Amino acid sequence: MTAVATVVPETAATGPRLGWLRDRGMGASILVAALSAAFGVILVEVTAYIGAVLQADPFIGDSGTLAFIVALLSVLLTAVAMYVAAIVTANTFATIIAGRTRQIALMRLIGATARSQRAQVGRQGFIVGVLGAGIGLLAGLVLAAVGVQIGAQFLDNDPSGFSLAQPFIALPVVGVALTTWAAAWAGSRRVLSVTPLQALGGSVERTHDEVSGKAGRHIGSWILVITGAVLLAAGVVIGLVSPLGVVVAFLGGILSFTGLVLGAVMFMPPVLRLVGRLFGTSATARLAAENALRYPERSSRMAIGVVMGVTLVTMFAVALESAKRLMMSQVTGEIPEEFFAPFDAFASIMMVLVAVSAVIAAVGLVNLLTIGVVQRRRELGLLRSIGLSNAQVRTMVLLEATHITVTATLTGLVLGVVYGWIAAQSLLGSVPTLPEFTPAGLVAPQIPWIPVVIIVVATAVLTLVAAATPTRLATRVAPVEALAAD
Amino acid sequence: MYADASSGRRAGTVAENSVGVMEITTTDLGLAARVQHLKKTYGSGEGTVRALDDVSVGIRRGQFTAIMGPSGSGKSTLMHIMAGLDSPSEGRAWIGDTDITGLGDLELTILRRRRVGFIFQAFNLVPTLDALGNIMLPFELDGRRPSAIERARIDGLIDSLGLGSRLNHRPHQLSGGQQQRVAIARALATAPDLVFADEPTGNLDSKTGREVLQLLASASREHGQSIAMVTHDAIAASHADRVLYLGDGRIVADHPRQTAEEISAYMLAAEVAA
Repeated sequence: MTAVATVVPETAATGPRLGWLRDRGMGASILVAALSAAFGVILVEVTAYIGAVLQADPFIGDSGTLAFIVALLSVLLTAVAMYVAAIVTANTFATIIAGRTRQIALMRLIGATARSQRAQVGRQGFIVGVLGAGIGLLAGLVLAAVGVQIGAQFLDNDPSGFSLAQPFIALPVVGVALTTWAAAWAGSRRVLSVTPLQALGGSVERTHDEVSGKAGRHIGSWILVITGAVLLAAGVVIGLVSPLGVVVAFLGGILSFTGLVLGAVMFMPPVLRLVGRLFGTSATARLAAENALRYPERSSRMAIGVVMGVTLVTMFAVALESAKRLMMSQVTGEIPEEFFAPFDAFASIMMVLVAVSAVIAAVGLVNLLTIGVVQRRRELGLLRSIGLSNAQVRTMVLLEATHITVTATLTGLVLGVVYGWIAAQSLLGSVPTLPEFTPAGLVAPQIPWIPVVIIVVATAVLTLVAAATPTRLATRVAPVEALAAD
Repeated sequence: MYADASSGRRAGTVAENSVGVMEITTTDLGLAARVQHLKKTYGSGEGTVRALDDVSVGIRRGQFTAIMGPSGSGKSTLMHIMAGLDSPSEGRAWIGDTDITGLGDLELTILRRRRVGFIFQAFNLVPTLDALGNIMLPFELDGRRPSAIERARIDGLIDSLGLGSRLNHRPHQLSGGQQQRVAIARALATAPDLVFADEPTGNLDSKTGREVLQLLASASREHGQSIAMVTHDAIAASHADRVLYLGDGRIVADHPRQTAEEISAYMLAAEVAA
């Protein structure tokens, strides 16, 4: 009953040379970097492979426009993959730094300079990035090789002579290594504001008010979101005349989503608050709901990781379904089934990528929830001593995870539908599938329900998985910890 | 949840002790809580540390009792066990007439929620809830609203603690003294059998600390609230009706109300003798 898991933070000073790699969150950070890099590598390989498959397809192979579209898709998808990798890695690392405040304060207390502490974090970020990217490259290549073998079994028009040695795989690998490093450096800005005094008292995270005070960043987010939205709309309009509309829309998508991510602290809390109300008014529900809003920055960060995964997947699903509709609207008769075979293959591969981005999000979520629990031991001890039962602790942590994932899934589904539809519309609005067809013009967004159900089920599973470790840690907190002397 | 490795043994002990003996209850003795032949050891073999060594003592109902002793004297361990936060190696503990020694985690949690109040040195309040939310927390954890009588009691507490204008403030918007008043209100709200205070003035300036101690003393004097306060501050202990001294895991003295000077002198003498 009183088994207490004492978390002793290892520091670079106390541990062996690479002992810090065992710090809470570091392993997860390497894993996230590895997953991101592998994700990027696989995406490059998959898009290259699909390009090759489409080239080999008897129906499409001779279409110059489609070859261009596939090449464009390869570049765009690679960019999206790198973008997701960068944000997830950056988010995870920034939270690790936030969780280390006490340790950094202790080092400051015994005489380390803020600058040396920051440099140390930077070095660690670089090592984590390089390790993760290296592992990810290997894992990605192995999985891609397996995928190509499987593809050869199922596709009639297997692109013989497809090579895994795609030069573009260097992009996500180097990108992940560098962004992890950069993220560590950017996240370590907080190191400079850690005072030695924080080693003595409970470290206090910035409150909502202080975060909101950063008006500059908020104005920047709004500008990005509004510019992005304008470009997205422009992309749809241009898309009615030229497939180049997708380039404008893509830029709009990147800008608006970057705006949403940077302004997550501003955009997510209202959604979180709304979802929190759905939990009811019991003490555990209220504690859980309040907790998500206590560190809006952290919760928004947690949510945005999942939002990205869900948005991306929904986007692909909706884009493909809408693309099909765009092509089908062009003819009154039936389009041969084989025509859609490469698209369905593409859809299946994208669905496999669901799992990868969900796992990246899950690792990030587990990490952030765990750090949240570890940093809250005293509060949990207090709640336990004044009468919160272990079952209530379990419910509370599960509700906290649910709060984040439900919020993120709803947001991601809405964004995914919008982005996906715009992608298909701006790319194919003007394109005749076969030279004699008339372009489809505007079609309504097509939402394929099976992927949506899969997403909802996957996020439910993600919630349970993400809550498991933090729940275990939280239920181990003994009430006496509220009385801890520090 | 109850399948704690040692609870079977403890349950056995309880059964043995109650067979055929018409026991005198804690209430009969005029006590709010008591412990009997309490032992607590940490570690085993050569490295065994004996935190409590055969302690038998009761906290009198309606009294404000201070538990004093130097660091390592076992006063915190004693309080943890009496409050159902920790389990003894040997011996038994009662809150009211409930033997808490054999209770499982859930039963202990509910007992703490309904019948024990806590005031800690610092970090008493849940930072995400406002003052009123913190005061109501024991009821809300119980999944109920306070009855009309309880509500009247809470309103009285809020009034006498001067918290009326602060109810919608979050802990970080309150001063240390105000936070401690909210903690007192929460601890007293359920009219518990016993309130445990662990160095309640440790984080306060001396004037605010004195006010908090006077509030505790008057809760005991005017409302018959039983309070046990662990402290090593002689001035804090001088507000109590009774002062228990612990040393090396034993009760070494039990005095009625003493002045701060007497308490200091006693503590100093004990330190020198040790």
